[in-house]
Amino acid sequence: MASKKPVVAPSQTAIHWLMVTLTIIAIPHFFYQPVWVALIFLLMMSWRVMHSWRGWLLPADKRLLKVLHSISAVLTIVLVFYSYGVTIGRDAGVALLTTMAAFKIVEVKSLRDYYLSCFMGFFLVITHFFFNQSIPIVILMLVNVILLTSCLITANETDSSAKNRVKQASIMVLQATPLMLLLFVLFPRISGPIWGLPNDAMDIPDSLPDTMTLGEVPPRNSAISGMSDDITIGNISQLTQSDAIAFRVKFENNQFPDRQNLYWRGPVLWHTDGKRWLPLNEKQKKQDQVVQLHVTGKPTSYSITLEPHDRRWLFALDFPTTYPQTMQTQLTADGELNSREAIKQRVQYQLSSHHQYQFNPEMDGYLGYGLNLPDDRHPRSQRLARDLVEKSESSEAYIESVLDYFRQQNFSYSLTPPALRGDTIDQFLFETRQGFCEHYAASFTVLMRAAGIPARIVTGYQGGDINPVDQILTVRQRDAHAWTEVWLPNKGWIRIDPTATVSSNRVDFGIGDLLPAERRSPRAIANNDRLVEMWQSAKNNWDALNSAWDMWVVSYGPERQLDLLKKLGMQQPDWQKMISWLAIGIALIFSWIAWTTLRLKSASQDKSQRVYQQFCAKLARLDIVRQPHEGPEDFAHRAQQALPAYQQQIATISHLYLHLRYRGDAVEEAFFDSVKQFKPQL
Amino acid sequence: MTQGSTDRILHSINAVILGKQHAVKLALSCLIARGHLLIEDLPGVGKTTLAHTLATTLGLRFQRVQFTSDMLPADILGVSIYEPEKHQFSFHRGPIFTQLLLADEINRASPRTQSALLEAMEEQQVTIEGESYPLDDPFFVIATQNPTHQIGTFPLPESQLDRFLMRIQIGYPDHQAERALLIGEDRRLMLKQLSAEITPDELLELQQTASKITLSDALIDYVQALLAYTRQTGQFYNGLSPRAGLGLIQAARAWAMISGRDFVIPEDVQAVFPSIVQHRLQAREHLQSADWALEILQQVAIP
Repeated sequence: MASKKPVVAPSQTAIHWLMVTLTIIAIPHFFYQPVWVALIFLLMMSWRVMHSWRGWLLPADKRLLKVLHSISAVLTIVLVFYSYGVTIGRDAGVALLTTMAAFKIVEVKSLRDYYLSCFMGFFLVITHFFFNQSIPIVILMLVNVILLTSCLITANETDSSAKNRVKQASIMVLQATPLMLLLFVLFPRISGPIWGLPNDAMDIPDSLPDTMTLGEVPPRNSAISGMSDDITIGNISQLTQSDAIAFRVKFENNQFPDRQNLYWRGPVLWHTDGKRWLPLNEKQKKQDQVVQLHVTGKPTSYSITLEPHDRRWLFALDFPTTYPQTMQTQLTADGELNSREAIKQRVQYQLSSHHQYQFNPEMDGYLGYGLNLPDDRHPRSQRLARDLVEKSESSEAYIESVLDYFRQQNFSYSLTPPALRGDTIDQFLFETRQGFCEHYAASFTVLMRAAGIPARIVTGYQGGDINPVDQILTVRQRDAHAWTEVWLPNKGWIRIDPTATVSSNRVDFGIGDLLPAERRSPRAIANNDRLVEMWQSAKNNWDALNSAWDMWVVSYGPERQLDLLKKLGMQQPDWQKMISWLAIGIALIFSWIAWTTLRLKSASQDKSQRVYQQFCAKLARLDIVRQPHEGPEDFAHRAQQALPAYQQQIATISHLYLHLRYRGDAVEEAFFDSVKQFKPQL
Repeated sequence: MTQGSTDRILHSINAVILGKQHAVKLALSCLIARGHLLIEDLPGVGKTTLAHTLATTLGLRFQRVQFTSDMLPADILGVSIYEPEKHQFSFHRGPIFTQLLLADEINRASPRTQSALLEAMEEQQVTIEGESYPLDDPFFVIATQNPTHQIGTFPLPESQLDRFLMRIQIGYPDHQAERALLIGEDRRLMLKQLSAEITPDELLELQQTASKITLSDALIDYVQALLAYTRQTGQFYNGLSPRAGLGLIQAARAWAMISGRDFVIPEDVQAVFPSIVQHRLQAREHLQSADWALEILQQVAIP
């Protein structure tokens, strides 16, 4: 036998097939990446195309081209480094992988190169997940995997048609699905950067800021890196432009609280310079503060799937009483629920809240901050506060009179309020009187503090849409809201939403009703009620599908895994148990495969063949091993030479077997008996 | 009768051609399987002697044509000549109208002449100026060919090589056989003394018997496994054709019959396999042809 295996080249069909597949895989990346990535990719592909079409030389054909090829590959790496500053991380890594896969394709000469290109293709498929985890992308990835598998098939089998190869690849991918599901469910999920997606994997959408600015906010596009954070962040009214999802809520037993109670707490703002509002700084937050919480009534339990917002806070229904177990969460003394790390991936947490509560009714360490107002600002507001205080007998009466002021003085709720300049609070309270929640919350807080009542602004979300299909409440960025909390002795912090006083619809029906019609359904069908209805129902179903996908697949993390395994009956699941179950599952799948293949094989062998195998096995014990390609007669001759004493027996057995198998006329029993009696010894 | 007659034939040929039992048996199988035979080897190893011996022992009428580069198709097939007395053309049969034609050094002739012969082989008839003249039955061609790297040769194209059931090589005799040859009688004299062992009718009967040799499903599985391997391995530009598969079975049957069996076993297939496939498969890398045919056999397990 030849000692050296010949170098086998993949067929032209296989190479073309792979080129098409790689291009299909790479195209979505071109949208995220600089133009030169696409250019290099297409340049290399064209080179290979010209090789097939016009016989252009490839790098392997000429030394000069080989050097040129290597130099451009190195230059590309330098270019990646130059563009991104690094060669690892999501964007740089994907750019590198995309271009190198293209460089490899012109190098493909042997079957080994071909396989390498295919495997690079598989890696490239995975990287789609770094940019997008939606259902359409997963379908695209599945198609890519099937195409790559058919490339591997094509390299080994050129006879069958393209349709058959794709069909075979689909069957193979389908056969791999049980193993995939097993690994997905059981492979231990550990929260942490190594096990998750890269840190920059999620595109962080607009989200709730932790400052609030009244009046003009610089447009987002003008943000230049290096400028301070709070300038690049828009204020709440800008958020109403965004339909992006903030988080999804699944209530236990689908028991929804009243809309009036759907206040989702976020950052709490204390400090103001008259225009901007800021939270307590880290040092102030760290002060040891005692939190006193008295609750009455039944708690509401729910789980939240939070989209990444790159901040630490978690949203909770006012007011959270049990906190998520799986994250290292902590409730600050001003009622913010914070995670230890910034939320860079979609997370899920379970908690419960009470709607009736008293928060720090006796004492609160931050009361001093709740009274601060900038000196020499808002003179007209201060005067109004003094007037109203004189007329009121108690703090409660004062609060009521301020709310009456909002009701009676022709204030209105507007998503597009007039721009404020100068002293924003005074201008809003006495001139424009059109505003959004943040205007009302801010001016109400100023009026409270001016009267000596501790007050703070709570930002977060209010309301949300319940999808009738899956009973999941979706809270979007446009539901962003700001309200006020005032502290009254023996009552603690009380939530007062001045916006609700002015526009009760905002709270009763959610912001959806206040949005212009074209944001609710496409303009083209807006006039046809039936079409709008159908569109709504299709949208609900699609949203429900996406919610299920996000909650069960994309954010299937440690918590979901533990939860699911408990439901499946595993007691106290830990990673050791998961690994052992995984091993058992894989062993089961493989033994099933082995069993079916063996059964198929043995079914195709008739009994005479099995008995002949016994005969061969008997001789194999004496080191006379039959090669698979060795015919029975040749083997018999060899055995006879090795065992002259058994010449006659071996001749009889092989004669009977040959007649049985190739002539079909010998007596089976005679053959079986002679094999049984055959007991060779050296 | 069959066993005795084939043994006698082999015996008389082996008396002339020394130490080449395997090649002789292959050549006989080829003729019994109704195939044409191509012998490729260096000059002087006994190609012509083998053809001549076969013809004589089988009792066939024998014609020999020495191919040259200036040969025309008419030199083989025959020619129509106008006869003034009869006022008509009459066909003068060429050397192809015989039972066994030895086409010596076929690759020295121009492609045009080669294809005239090969066409006649395929059709079993000669057509000249609209008139068809059937060839004899049995009709065999034994062509000899010099290795193609010698100068002044026109290698046969693949499609025409396919017309030959087998291509065999004779090779140098071994030490013992060569000594016997050198000491022994003049081969040409021996040829003259040789007599026919069977009649052409008996040969047709042998062919009939061979085509009825039992072929089990298990053996067809093996043949198919071999064919599939040549198509999937990637070592060859094209795998074996179904025609090659049919030829393999025919030859294996003839081999089994000559070996004295009325059924085919894998060893029969293995014995004829190299001579059937060597001229039909083109290896991608330049492989020593004798080796790779055996390598295929070693790669395919007997089911």
